[in-house]
Amino acid sequence: MAHPSQLGFQDAASPVMEELLHFHDHALMIVFLISTLVLYIIVAMVSTKLTNKYILDSQEIEVIWTILPAFILILIALPSLRILYLMDEINDPHLTIKAMGHQWYWSYEYTDYEDLGFDSYMLPTQDLAPGQFRLLEADHRMVIPVESPIRVLVSAEDVLHSWAVPSLGVKMDAVPGRLNQTAFIASRPGVFYGQCSEICGANHSFMPIVVEAVPLQYFEKWSSLMLEDT
Amino acid sequence: MSLQKPLMRGMLGKRLRFHLPIAFSLSLLAAIAFKYAVTEPRKQAYADFYKQYDATKEFNAMREAGIFESVRTGKVK
Repeated sequence: MAHPSQLGFQDAASPVMEELLHFHDHALMIVFLISTLVLYIIVAMVSTKLTNKYILDSQEIEVIWTILPAFILILIALPSLRILYLMDEINDPHLTIKAMGHQWYWSYEYTDYEDLGFDSYMLPTQDLAPGQFRLLEADHRMVIPVESPIRVLVSAEDVLHSWAVPSLGVKMDAVPGRLNQTAFIASRPGVFYGQCSEICGANHSFMPIVVEAVPLQYFEKWSSLMLEDT
Repeated sequence: MSLQKPLMRGMLGKRLRFHLPIAFSLSLLAAIAFKYAVTEPRKQAYADFYKQYDATKEFNAMREAGIFESVRTGKVK
């Protein structure tokens, strides 16, 4: 999850997020390359007594500053397209969950085998137990089996919302009347937090997403218990 | 005795021929430094983490710590 004075991404908890992390490092390296070059040139141009500094015509420099940026763009585009196609691969999910956005909570439906559905409201600050995270905890978590491909179908019942969990590398807009699909695999067990990522009214900041990844046998026990309770 | 003719032209070119190679070298150095100080250590850190990772052990430790809501603490299956 996020922590104070954090600069980079949260630790990746899915293979796709790991790829995105490494791609970001690659793109940032290119950004530093260009920024260093430009900064040096600016300082050199500003700190000179020369008054006639403007080149009117040079075929050579025009070729260089066309070819080099094109090459840099290809260097960025190839890994980017690789990840894009990786995310689009047929993934044969083990489980499909519907995440529905409402003002201002999420509801989850597990309808593959039985009809399991529940709402997930933010825990108010005054109801938090010691150690729980303010504005991030929810009363009911979306529980999933670890290391299994999960498909999430995201939609909304009223206005636009967006279902996002940064450490899993997932963000998908919840549009009323539309079913959007995303998929991920939780590489390790744990609890992963996210927040609604599309402005949806007064309590947009107060409808978090909590995903709990547990081994399959515990997921099965949890879903049986949840079905008994409903 | 006459004065030497001062330098009249080519001053910007001379300056560019001096500074541009330094600029490109420094920027390449910055990129290489970032790659070996940040990118490669991060890749290695993730590889090392998952090489020794025991999901069951970590899950049980988290379970005992009471992090999960779907799993009650108690006897490990």
